[in-house]
Amino acid sequence: MKYLVRAIVFGLVGYVSGVWLTLAVRGGDPTDEVAVVFGFILALLGWLAGIGGLEAFGRQWIGKTPKLSEDHTWRRYFQFSGDHKVIGIQYGVTLFAVLLIGGLVSMIMRIELAAPGMSIVDLEEFNKLMSMHGILMIAVAVAGIIGAFGNYLIPIQIGAADMAFPRLNALSFWLVPPVAIGLLSAPLLGSFDAGWTAYAPLSVTNDSGQILFNLALIAFGLSSILGGLNILVTVITMRAPGMTWGRLPIFTWAGFATALLTFSVTQFFAGALTLITMDRVAGTNFFGPEVGTGILYQHIFWFYSHPAVYIMVLPGLGVVLELVTTFSRKPLFAYKTTVGALLTIVGLSVVVWGHHMFTSGMADFLHGPFMILTEAISIPTGVIFLSIMGTLWQGKLWFRAPLIMTFGWLFNFMIGGITGIFLADVATDIYLHDTYFVVAHFHYTIVGGAIFALLAAFFYWFPKVTGRMYNDKLGSIFAVWVTVAFNFTFMPLFWVGINGMNRRVGDYPEAYAAANKFASISAFILGASFLLFVGNMLWSAVKGPKAGANPWNARTLEWQVSSPPSHHNFLSQPVIVGHPYDYGGDGSPHVIFPDAEEPPDEVSLEEASV
Amino acid sequence: MRKSWLPVGFLWLVYTILILALVKYVNVLPTQWAEEAQVVDEAFLLLMYLAAPVMAMVLAVMTWGMIAWRSDGADREDGPNTHTNRIVVTTWLVLTSALAIGVVINPGFIGLAEIRGEPSSDYVIEIEASQFFWEVTYPNGATSFDELVVPAHMRVRYDVNSTDVHHSFWVPAFRVKIDAVPGITTRVFATATAEGSIEDDINLRIQCAELCGAGHAAMAMPVRVVSDAEWNEYITSIGGSG
Amino acid sequence: MAMDVERSEYRQDMSFQPRANRIGMWLFLVSETFLFGAFLAARYYSTGTLRPEELNQALALFLTVVLLGSSVSAYLAETAIRFNHRRKFIIFTAVTIALGLLFLGGVVVELREAIHLFPPGTPYGSSYFMLIGLHAFHVVTGLIALSIVLRLGVMGHFSSKDYWGVEGVVKYWHFVDLAWVVIYPTLYLF
Ligand code: HEA
Ligand code: HEA
Ligand code: CUA
Ligand SMILES: [Cu+2]
Repeated sequence: MKYLVRAIVFGLVGYVSGVWLTLAVRGGDPTDEVAVVFGFILALLGWLAGIGGLEAFGRQWIGKTPKLSEDHTWRRYFQFSGDHKVIGIQYGVTLFAVLLIGGLVSMIMRIELAAPGMSIVDLEEFNKLMSMHGILMIAVAVAGIIGAFGNYLIPIQIGAADMAFPRLNALSFWLVPPVAIGLLSAPLLGSFDAGWTAYAPLSVTNDSGQILFNLALIAFGLSSILGGLNILVTVITMRAPGMTWGRLPIFTWAGFATALLTFSVTQFFAGALTLITMDRVAGTNFFGPEVGTGILYQHIFWFYSHPAVYIMVLPGLGVVLELVTTFSRKPLFAYKTTVGALLTIVGLSVVVWGHHMFTSGMADFLHGPFMILTEAISIPTGVIFLSIMGTLWQGKLWFRAPLIMTFGWLFNFMIGGITGIFLADVATDIYLHDTYFVVAHFHYTIVGGAIFALLAAFFYWFPKVTGRMYNDKLGSIFAVWVTVAFNFTFMPLFWVGINGMNRRVGDYPEAYAAANKFASISAFILGASFLLFVGNMLWSAVKGPKAGANPWNARTLEWQVSSPPSHHNFLSQPVIVGHPYDYGGDGSPHVIFPDAEEPPDEVSLEEASV
Repeated sequence: MRKSWLPVGFLWLVYTILILALVKYVNVLPTQWAEEAQVVDEAFLLLMYLAAPVMAMVLAVMTWGMIAWRSDGADREDGPNTHTNRIVVTTWLVLTSALAIGVVINPGFIGLAEIRGEPSSDYVIEIEASQFFWEVTYPNGATSFDELVVPAHMRVRYDVNSTDVHHSFWVPAFRVKIDAVPGITTRVFATATAEGSIEDDINLRIQCAELCGAGHAAMAMPVRVVSDAEWNEYITSIGGSG
Repeated sequence: MAMDVERSEYRQDMSFQPRANRIGMWLFLVSETFLFGAFLAARYYSTGTLRPEELNQALALFLTVVLLGSSVSAYLAETAIRFNHRRKFIIFTAVTIALGLLFLGGVVVELREAIHLFPPGTPYGSSYFMLIGLHAFHVVTGLIALSIVLRLGVMGHFSSKDYWGVEGVVKYWHFVDLAWVVIYPTLYLF
């Protein structure tokens, strides 16, 4: 705790001195945006130094041996630990908390939207809530699976003891809390109301809370970039002997594909936000109304933010593919084609951004190419569906909570993907753009695709991370509940969208009242389901039955070590000798431990009582 | 081991028919008031029809999986060791690519040509957006802040502009939309097909469709479609240089 | 970026580390390219290749030469430590820092002129200040890193077996140089 306290103190001191210095140099008010910028930067540096950056990096710069937290108690979760398992848990818990906060904000929105007219907030406050909900959730979706499960699992799945750069990994994580704090404290400066997209010039002229949005997300971008870089290097250089590219578990492949996107295109997001920040504080004029370059902002923004949607969903695809093979007890269907599809998605995703701009007034000749490329993306995504269905085909489906979540995922993402095609088509998008049809589309893809996969991953890897089994009966009830409630919430929103209700509005014509009321009530039922989930997880983490090393009888590496894995994951060097998903084959293993003194502890399923 | 093809194929057929029937008999689209709306609606329905077999396929596998492939994992029995099937993969790739190409051609390019092509028009109406109101300027120079009146059966070009941030000119009943961008003029065409007003259909309104600040939700304006003669009368009555 | 985490009972073979450092650095530079790409794209999008006549061409050319020179000396410093020539290594690192500081001073002069000729509020001025600013920021971080390397070098760190610290910083410095080679024509020549 001492480090956390130090981080908070240094952060506060940093903030105050940043503001103070600015005032000393140029005068003005402590709430001036320039002061906030310098305050934030110094606060961030202070925070990072305080939490352990001084020991981890600073010592090396003065020629001493750097140190990382070596605590083995619960305190390590509050320290600058380089252990990828600790960092995975830190990410998982932090972002899940953010998910709950973002969800509660959406509940306020749904109360307001339950009936036309304004009831609990006014139009402007609604826009601010909506923007807050959007950006918090985007942050969760971008970093949730890859930050939590990517960190925890990728090194184990490839047979490594840790990430390639443990200190950098810790840095990536510790950049995240300031992001959440920055965003959540924006209301102090009037909050931001330009949506998660922050289109200029609106985002140049609105309230000062926008500056915190920009700064927080630049920090978040940095975290994503460093995290992505680390995963790439880890997978390239640290695979265990015998772990060829053709034997990489599919989740690792998906994480690798995601990292290819995060480490590169995220810079465009940081760039776009820097430009509007400079317009606000440094007197540049990229996007002023008189310059007419708002479309430029959109190009830069979507060059990141379209790939970002695949950053959200690719790890989800990895999770789902991993789950279907385990729970249908069959090899992953068309493994090589699937890997090819993941990489094709990465390639295509950076050239389709214009489909968000069909009505933006961008040059006419761009519409055709962007439409073709966007629709081309449905082909590799279709391959993922083929792989899932082919794996399920005549398998031995074991309907446990993770598989039920996967079935929910399959339904949701199918709807989300197919409605994407409606938006990719210029003729229909010209109508549907900026309606609730889009809102429904992306909740089906992000919540239905990324968050459902995140929840499924929580179930599946829970025994590995905690060493205990969650209650599967409650888990299954939750899985069905959340799927049904989710569909009841967002299906009606397609209808209101098609019938002319635009998004980002706190008030709407009477004609859409009934459907909205239905959606709101379903949303509360959806929200309530999370109580069951959280309850189940918390209770089981403490009181659940011991799970043993391999409760799902799965083949990938993480299941061949104890639960939770030992400090350096393996007690001796693993050697990879076979395909990761050769279920029903001749029994050849995926991994052997030639130097092991004892075979890893086998725990029978009865004992795990799933 | 081929035993699943038959039931899944059957389910697929049933679901496809069901979805097609739903699309055909349950109309989700609002009333059309413009020729452009017909293009959009046709494209929409075509996509729905094309989506039917795709959705049905996924649903069929899911249903049959829940019925016939369930097993108690506790017996640790593995499924068949099929790693891939070249014929299935190739067929799938060919079919989905064909579908994607089909969608790109129609409604994709055909719709694009119909919506964006042919830049001739009978009248030009200028629309200027500001936080948070619309200003309409008719061909004779008359302006209005509270109503957009357009002639039926005439192809009107809307020249859209903004004075501050991005807005979007959208008349849901016409199904057309274009952003109002400060510094440049964007344009869109619409040919109203029937007379009517917001009293007849809530979608006969201009609705701002790009987040522009606090008043975004309220940035709407009624639209009234009248005959060409009435329209001429109207625009002279509200002034302008004639 | 050298890693030296303490590893207890089971030690994974650490031979991957030098390769990991190199790949990591290269990927980082690729990533940075995207950032510069975004700003360059903004310049071309908003003002095309338009540029004002008042630009101080002579100064810019001089700065280009200085920065290119610093890249050469950085390269020499790295080669020196690879062959264990400590003195040469320290001298060339110091030269690099000096040239970098000279460059930075030039940039300050340049910006003070520019702020009157084409202030940041004008279309060209926006791109100009943004690109120069971004680049100068990289120069400053590079100089800080070089100074750390210099100090460690003087203290006796680095040798032909362990020179990753030098190599990484020098790679970064070359990148900063390369970025200028793109920014310079963008702002002054096209
Ligand atoms: C995880 C997030 C995620 C994912 C995966 C997707 C996936 C897709 N999205 Fe979506 N999208 C968003 C998140 C996501 N989207 C968000 C957040 C927005 C709004 C941003 C904002 O404005 O705030 C948005 C907006 C958005 C728009 C802009 C709408 C507008 O504002 O006007 C468009 C337009 O083309 C689009 C298209 C697509 C397409 C074609 C896919 C495809 O990848 C889908 C591919 C999948 C399938 C097609 C289904 C499976 C395939 C088969 C079963 C094979 C057979 C099918 C065929 C051959 C067709 N999306
Ligand atoms: C990860 C992404 C994600 C997730 C998970 C969600 C989840 C939800 N979203 Fe959101 N949403 C976005 C991403 C996401 N959203 C984005 C990007 C936008 C666009 C913003 C923009 O336009 O700029 C948006 C916009 C958006 C809108 C449109 C606003 C507008 O355009 O005006 C709406 C409206 O209904 C909405 C609703 C919901 C609801 C009801 C949920 C529910 O699924 C939430 C359920 C979860 C909880 C409720 C929290 C947990 C529960 C508890 C802690 C228990 C206690 C609570 C109760 C019992 C009430 N979201
Ligand atoms: Cu004007 Cu929204
Ligand atoms: Cu997109």
